[in-house]
Amino acid sequence: MSNQDASLPNGRAAVSQVLHPIRGRLTLAALLAGLGSMLALVPLAAIAHIANIALGAGESGWSQARGEVAWAVGASLACLLLGLLLMSVGEAIAHLADNHITRHLRLAITARLAQVPLGWFSARASGEVKQAMQDDIGTLHSLTAHFYTTAGRCVGAILISALYLFAIDWRMAIIALLPFPGFFLFFAKATKASGANMQDFVSRLTRINTAVVEFVHGIPVVKAFGATGKAHDSYREAVDEFSAAFTAFTRPLVGTMANANAMIAPVAVLGVVLVFGTLLVSLGWISALQVLPFAIVAPGISAPLMLLSYITHDLNNATGAAQRLHALLATPVLEQPAPEQQQLPSDGQVYVEHLSYGYDPQQPVLIDINLRLAPGTVTAIVGASGSGKSTLARLLLRFFDPDQGRITLGGVDLRHLDSRELYRRIGFVLQEVRLIHASISENIALGRPDASQQEIEAAARAANIHDCILRLPRGYQSVFGEDAQLSGGEQQRVSIARAVLLDPPLLVLDEATAAVDASSELAIAQALSAFAQGCTLLVIAHRLDTVMHADQIIVLEQGRIIEQGKHAQLLALGGRYARLWALGAYGQTSEQALPTC
Amino acid sequence: MLKTFIRLLGDDARVFRRYLSMAIGYGLLCGLSICTLAPVLSALLAGDTAAAAQWLVLLVLSMAVCWAMRRRLDKAGVAVGVAVLQGGRQRIGDHVARLPLGWFTPENTARLNHVVTQGMMAVAQLPAHVFTPVVSGAVTPLVLVVALFMLHWPLAVIALLALPLLAWVQVYSARLGRRADQAYQRSAAEASQRMVEFAQAQAVLRAFTGGNSTRFLQQAIDQQHAAASRLIRMSATSAVLNLWLVQAVFAALLIAALVWMEGALTQASVIAVCVALLLVNRFIEPLLEVAGYGETLRGAGVQLEAVAEILAAQPLAEPVVGQAPVDASVELTDVHFSYGAGRPEVLQGVSLRLEPGSMTALVGASGSGKTTLVRLIARFFDASAGSVRVGGVDVRQMTAEQLAAQISQIFQDTYLFQGSIADNIRLGKPGASTAQVLEAACQAGVDEIIERLPQGLWTPVGEGGARLSGGERQRIAIARALIKDSPILLVDEATAALDAQNQAAISQTLAHLRGKRTLIVIAHQLSTVVMADQVLVLDQGRIVEQGTPAQLAEAQGRYAHYLAQRQAAKGWRIAAAQPVDEQGLT
Repeated sequence: MSNQDASLPNGRAAVSQVLHPIRGRLTLAALLAGLGSMLALVPLAAIAHIANIALGAGESGWSQARGEVAWAVGASLACLLLGLLLMSVGEAIAHLADNHITRHLRLAITARLAQVPLGWFSARASGEVKQAMQDDIGTLHSLTAHFYTTAGRCVGAILISALYLFAIDWRMAIIALLPFPGFFLFFAKATKASGANMQDFVSRLTRINTAVVEFVHGIPVVKAFGATGKAHDSYREAVDEFSAAFTAFTRPLVGTMANANAMIAPVAVLGVVLVFGTLLVSLGWISALQVLPFAIVAPGISAPLMLLSYITHDLNNATGAAQRLHALLATPVLEQPAPEQQQLPSDGQVYVEHLSYGYDPQQPVLIDINLRLAPGTVTAIVGASGSGKSTLARLLLRFFDPDQGRITLGGVDLRHLDSRELYRRIGFVLQEVRLIHASISENIALGRPDASQQEIEAAARAANIHDCILRLPRGYQSVFGEDAQLSGGEQQRVSIARAVLLDPPLLVLDEATAAVDASSELAIAQALSAFAQGCTLLVIAHRLDTVMHADQIIVLEQGRIIEQGKHAQLLALGGRYARLWALGAYGQTSEQALPTC
Repeated sequence: MLKTFIRLLGDDARVFRRYLSMAIGYGLLCGLSICTLAPVLSALLAGDTAAAAQWLVLLVLSMAVCWAMRRRLDKAGVAVGVAVLQGGRQRIGDHVARLPLGWFTPENTARLNHVVTQGMMAVAQLPAHVFTPVVSGAVTPLVLVVALFMLHWPLAVIALLALPLLAWVQVYSARLGRRADQAYQRSAAEASQRMVEFAQAQAVLRAFTGGNSTRFLQQAIDQQHAAASRLIRMSATSAVLNLWLVQAVFAALLIAALVWMEGALTQASVIAVCVALLLVNRFIEPLLEVAGYGETLRGAGVQLEAVAEILAAQPLAEPVVGQAPVDASVELTDVHFSYGAGRPEVLQGVSLRLEPGSMTALVGASGSGKTTLVRLIARFFDASAGSVRVGGVDVRQMTAEQLAAQISQIFQDTYLFQGSIADNIRLGKPGASTAQVLEAACQAGVDEIIERLPQGLWTPVGEGGARLSGGERQRIAIARALIKDSPILLVDEATAALDAQNQAAISQTLAHLRGKRTLIVIAHQLSTVVMADQVLVLDQGRIVEQGTPAQLAEAQGRYAHYLAQRQAAKGWRIAAAQPVDEQGLT
């Protein structure tokens, strides 16, 4: 992950890279919006023009001026219409471009994540992936769909207004536009003041977010203990502290920003125009008629300017999102072997050689593991939780690659095996059952979409779930999560049917029967026993009695193999395995249970 | 929307009302000040600079007042924002703290988290950045209509008629947009679900679908894309409608002014027309601004709806003074329960009595109602019908503290608070001595964890217990329940027994407390069931068998069948490859 920090571009670069495919369209949209807003202002100039004609004509020339006025009105309305049309087209282009880039980014992330090491997913909450693909991309919306067109519109309006006013009288234009630089002066002062406190404010923000997470997740626990006051108090404190920080943070800003806002309010601009207009007229520098355009156009600049300063908020949010997306798109992928490196396994032998691995390099989870899985044998891995059992199984499935050492299948390093070839040979049933929101049929045939209905049903029968499926409202066509309501054990059996249909020569079972109820456990046990016949089996067991007949039992402790052998050998050894066996009280259970049978 | 905002503010609503009346006042004053442009320009165009100067004095004065008011208005807006961030957050906190435990599903928790953090920040920005321009932009034109009346009434009539039309179109197009928005939100939710699935089921997807693991997600993304296209068409239409309509009003006013000019005979009336056109311009501009805020307002509406939904959740009714329980018994009388109206009943008339100090094992297939039954005792929810009595008192007649003091649970989610292991255990009994904490830790098998860690009992657990494994967190949660030492203990073995050590800790706990506390266990282990004084077998929300383990074993009913299955599952062995083991069940 260290290279990620190095490659993290600054905000603007990230935005421009992420939006690269639609840059042209956004530019076009902004230009259209700008042009449109310029044209939409023509009627304002027309008002001044009409006043000029009407008042300049005097009572005698009025009949002649009439035609000119009508022409001016007609032309200005046509311009207005065209302007509106251009702006609307610009908006539409921007929105469609946004929709396009949204889909493009989501698919790009999907494609990228389909190649990253599987372990990447276990280290992250699935919510994070959703956050990036849905929420962060959604945040970009305000940038792509709104920012560019709004900016184009505002800049266009401000630009044409300023040009027009300067064309009429430069002295008056300078005076009329004076409030606007003043606005930026205040604005810059406020931004500077906020920058000084920003660090503190952000740290408060992080703190309150943490407090909220703790409150929200902790409150059920605290309520259960009848100590509602406690978690609540720390939440209350965090809220109060934050609002104090917020007040302190905004206090210097409010006054400055209020001045800035008041300065460019239409009233203020109009006041300036009229006061100085009257002054210049009385000085004889300009005519009264020349004041009109200023009174019409200058106050209109404030709205786009305010909007422009407001939408920079969106820009800040979007740059954060763009940075996260950029980083996500740069996630290192699990290296697939180059075609010339690819090899095919010669047989089903699995060797684990000097394997070490740690999620965090400082804390190795597995240290120097050596292991052989002979075809057709059963190997069990036992040990306390946290001893590295599941990690070992996941390395065999290439969820991640080992830090040191290697795993070979049929003489081929897993890293030189195409992942399709790998998963054709190694099947798995994990404790965490994952069914897809799709029909039961599709769920079973996930690995072989071309399987016939007979094959699917045969697999379901082998997994002891066929009858159960027939009882669902729409049988095999029932959709999981909708009309197919299945218990944990039933889901597990569907996932076994999935593995059965694929029929791999090597099977990894990770605590496949943990945490399911009794009737399910029996059905699963039967299904697995049938299925496992003839397979090379790697079993991770939390109950030792289920694996007491394995060909070899491996005892892991803190990432190392500390004992290895058959059940009887390990018991005789009197070591860790013997202690675990005693702790499980397996003998005791059968003694207690037997009389009741 | 306004209603939710005021409800969120509660007692602080007066801050908001004050702000709102100031915004209206500001809009009025701005309008009035702008009106002075009429006499100023009239005088100026007529060549009477002195008269213009007199009016200018008034204009400058009112400008100064506007300025001062704008400052106060902005401050008031920030005060509303602070009230949202402080008072609003506190109110949501207080409200949520009173909600039943059953409310805290993962979806609700995620939504709450979002609302309190990002949602409140967004809502707090509303007054200063959105409400001020919208409110003053809606009020100012009203004043200008009055001024137009004085100049030329037909213009004023057009302007006046346009206002309700504009408001109606704004509301109507927002409604249209909302419908497309809802359809879009649905497809977005589906895509989100696929994204979560894509991450959670990645191993399965990749291993089983070869090179095509992204098929389902791609479909969902394409559907969301299509829904977004429809939404864009819709909201583009409504934006265009709003904008064009305002401009159409402008065009109508322009043409009306032109018609008026046709008949204008004197220089003075031509000046009046010109001045009126300026007022028309000032009338239209704020309306354009308001029309531009349509989408922002709709977004704010979505945030406030999420707040309204949380505030709409009903807390369980509690008496002011509760009745104290008299013993450690539990009694259910004809209890019915379903998760929401129209959903199937999970419990259908359950009656039972658990004597103080007895141990009861609940047995049944998944979905039979065991978990719901135990949750009703802890008052996660109230029964739809019938009564739940703890210590002889209906749970609805007790305060939350009284009930909580009576019951310990080992099944709640294992969330740990930031702090040390000792802090987390002590949560169960705030005044506990270190010796007591250690004792509970030993009983729950936490001693083994403590020994391994350099800081022992004082090791920080990290946010949410992130530095510990699932089994370790679970054991600390068990210790927390044990130190509480309440008369009734509820245990869900299936979710609490993550691994062999946890299972051992629970077995020891049960053996140790048997006869001393009222124990209710959702039993998973045979050894637990046979230890119980009575076994309740549930099936489809009903108690179908009840008695001592020995009685039921002889009855040849469901329990006997369960035992046989259990025994068979227990006897399940993964066979060694060679020779084939005869104990294998195949």
